Amino acid sequence: MKALLALMKKEYLEAARTGKLLLLILLFVLFGIMNPAIAKLTPWMMEMLSQSMTESGLIVTEVQVDALTSWTQFFKNLPIALIAFVLIFSDRFTKEYKSGTLLLVLTKGLPRYKVVLAKAVLLLSLWTVGYGICFAITYGYNAYFWDNGIANHLFFSVAIWWLFGVWIVCLIVLFSSLLQNSTSVSLCTGGTVLLAYLLRIIPQVKAYSPTVLLNTNALLTGVEETDAYRKAIALAASLCIVCVAVSIPVMNKKQL
Amino acid sequence: MDVLTIQNLNKNFGRKKVLCGLELSVPEHSIFGFIGKNGAGKTTTMKAILGLIKWDSGAIYVRGEKVHFGQTSTNRYIGYLPDVPEFYSYLTTTEYLTLCGNLCGMSKADIATRSTELLELVGLGQEKHRIKGFSRGMKQRLGIAQALLHRPKLLICDEPTSALDPAGRKEILDILLAAKEQTTVLFSTHILSDVERICTEAAFLNDGKIAMQGTIAELRSKRSSNGFLIEIGKKEAADTLIEAFCELERTEEHVLVFHGDENRFFDLMQFISRNRIPIQRMERIEPTLESLFLEVTK
Repeated sequence: MKALLALMKKEYLEAARTGKLLLLILLFVLFGIMNPAIAKLTPWMMEMLSQSMTESGLIVTEVQVDALTSWTQFFKNLPIALIAFVLIFSDRFTKEYKSGTLLLVLTKGLPRYKVVLAKAVLLLSLWTVGYGICFAITYGYNAYFWDNGIANHLFFSVAIWWLFGVWIVCLIVLFSSLLQNSTSVSLCTGGTVLLAYLLRIIPQVKAYSPTVLLNTNALLTGVEETDAYRKAIALAASLCIVCVAVSIPVMNKKQL
Repeated sequence: MDVLTIQNLNKNFGRKKVLCGLELSVPEHSIFGFIGKNGAGKTTTMKAILGLIKWDSGAIYVRGEKVHFGQTSTNRYIGYLPDVPEFYSYLTTTEYLTLCGNLCGMSKADIATRSTELLELVGLGQEKHRIKGFSRGMKQRLGIAQALLHRPKLLICDEPTSALDPAGRKEILDILLAAKEQTTVLFSTHILSDVERICTEAAFLNDGKIAMQGTIAELRSKRSSNGFLIEIGKKEAADTLIEAFCELERTEEHVLVFHGDENRFFDLMQFISRNRIPIQRMERIEPTLESLFLEVTK
């Protein structure tokens, strides 16, 4: 336990001292502010554009914005934030393989699974904190400007999108234990998401794809109920455990 | 007792045979020089001892415990210094050693005293900056400190002096010599003067196996004399000797080197005595590690 805690401390110190933690916080704060800001500015932007639109034959009537507009924007922006997260943190393992810093740690007799766990905990906590900051800022502004009550199943939607992010983090851990460079890790993570998305065209497996968790708009507007997400939640959660569990024996047999 | 035993170790990289039936034993409290050309398989052997790479067949034992590829518990007995040690550059020396100490399960107080002691030993006691700006020599010294931190029974150093200037080399060798009191040192190198200076034992690695192993004195004695050097006062006398003995070779105007068997050498002595040839100097040429190395790796 002592070794695991020491490794985790080192991971956080690394994130802080290399500026990645600051970058992550700025990124999520920016996205958090952007969602209500875009919603708030939409009527004003439409008004600005109305004259030129009228000339081209489009009539702009009064644009209504509310908390739902902001929450729709929140879930639209999240994939970009998650891609940025993957790009920033996909080198957590591979950088250590390349530089050889892991050699000295492992030759101290440290069990390798502790390296996997320490890095997985770091990535999960950073994703949770970043996502939490983004959500809290949007929630605060939305409550100030409008009424959050208009969005159906808001916390459930937020939770399933977080779970999708956790699945991505677990994929980073798995591919990092298998591959040698961060580009391959990012590409394979993206490829797996694409595959999960494509699997949705098969009716029998559609409900199980973790990408179903991204479809929060239907929940917010009340088109879908939470039951429709059960299978995807169960599979995503199981895949998370499988990814980390597989990473450990892979890491144990990795040639360094 | 042997701290490290390697039995019939074989390793191929694709079609290339790197280790072919390597047998090695390292006795406790020795400084063991592991000598071989570049690409001879020194690093591969060391990485196998640490369980970092998979070998094809054979067995490795550290203090009698079998080494396993991947996760191996025998690493708790080992301190390792790679040829180019890389550290977390955002940490200071003390922070790095504290991390290492915690990974080894040492107590807080022990980490603190041991870190101070070792940083003093390697000359980094006053260094408070982050590792980021460290020179190669400083990294090597920190590498030794981290390797010795948990009082390992075996210290493995992979070419610790190869890339250093003479002053840096001397410092590292002195530290390794001092470490002998606490541990057994196995260090690979192709710098033979380093081996002659600090090693108690050595092994030559050639074509993936140990060509020769023993104490430095034993290694030297395994090869008979490389001949005799004879310095003669007069050039004419040297000419006479050269004409009479085909085993003689002239290296300088007055200096001849004899390569031949004992009987011929006695004949030569008789000839010198009979003809009253003035000799200024006559000595046996001792085989050097360099000549041995060249002979072994031919």
